Amino acid sequence: MMTRRISNWASLDGAILRCAALLVPPAKRSDWLTEWRSELWYVLERCRHEGRRPVWDRNGILFCLGSFRDAAWVRCNDQSPDSSRHPWLRSPIRCLMVLTTLASVAAVFFFRSSGPLDTLLRASRGHREALFAHLLMIFVACVVLPATTSLALGEYPANPYSPARARRVRRWIFLGIKLSLIVMIVFCGTLDLAQIAGVPALQPHVALLGYILAFRWALIDQRRRCPVCLRLLANPVRIGRAGQTILEWSGTELVCTKGHGLLHLPEIATTYSAQRWLDLDASWSSLFLS
Amino acid sequence: MPAEPKLSHTAAMILQAIHCGCAYGYDIMDTTGLPSGTVYPALRRLEQDGQIRSHWERQSIADAGQRPARKYYKLTPSGKTTLEASHRRYPLLSKLAPTPGVKHQ
Repeated sequence: MMTRRISNWASLDGAILRCAALLVPPAKRSDWLTEWRSELWYVLERCRHEGRRPVWDRNGILFCLGSFRDAAWVRCNDQSPDSSRHPWLRSPIRCLMVLTTLASVAAVFFFRSSGPLDTLLRASRGHREALFAHLLMIFVACVVLPATTSLALGEYPANPYSPARARRVRRWIFLGIKLSLIVMIVFCGTLDLAQIAGVPALQPHVALLGYILAFRWALIDQRRRCPVCLRLLANPVRIGRAGQTILEWSGTELVCTKGHGLLHLPEIATTYSAQRWLDLDASWSSLFLS
Repeated sequence: MPAEPKLSHTAAMILQAIHCGCAYGYDIMDTTGLPSGTVYPALRRLEQDGQIRSHWERQSIADAGQRPARKYYKLTPSGKTTLEASHRRYPLLSKLAPTPGVKHQ
């Protein structure tokens, strides 16, 4: 009731608080917002006692702007078990939505400004040559890629708990869409950046670097996903000590928050110690959130 | 012998304000003169470090006072020890609010 009263006559302050609340992890957001709204009430009450209008009051706005710092602190120091460093990439749908948004923004800038396209066409004497140049850079990036990360995609030996064929196909479709969007982001994005920076000559070099880093990220991201539900694995736990690599297993274990299994990541990948996936059957489900 | 806990001047001021009876965020802001962007993160850090603890006021009490429920902060035994150490480090700290327990009994 009190909160509704506040939001009625302090809509700008309320809007600032709601914006800041977006920074706070969802599990803590409601409590955080309640505290700030409660405290805001005192700031606005003082305004009324001093005969000032609480709406658009400088003190109220300054008070609310401080909430951004607090929200950022809460996000940086979030120690809840389900906290992830990249919540916007956690689910496969969300990951594709983020990539689609980035690709759309890059494409819109690209098609709105004909400058970089003209520059590219002039530099490479024709549209076909420009596309060929980018295809060549993609090829070079693929050649260089094994030097930067393993090419394995997290394919694990078949067992009774292995995901069905349809799910394996889904993983490949997910990877294919991800790579297509990445190519679009790098292609359009590097042309946009070249125009903004005013150095079109550097565009091919930046594009090559962009392709290598983007493909590397795509492979690492694919390996860190649950083979069943494609969500990012969470709760990393270090096992063993790096000095015991030869005698004992050491590395990191990650778990699927839906309870599909555990991923063992060796500290140093060798022929006898590769990334392993341990399937968990339904009897483990009670340990995980649904 | 454990090392003496050290706090920044800002955190020490907030601990002192809580010790003197300022029990919720706005009250602490009002007493210390610190901005909201400093006070609230500092309160969370102090709580995380076990120097203070917080609890929400009962809704019935807030309704009786015709105001929103407050989140109250209180010093822990560890916080009291830290504050004593801070008094030695910042001798003027006690001038912030020299009479503990005056407010919000």
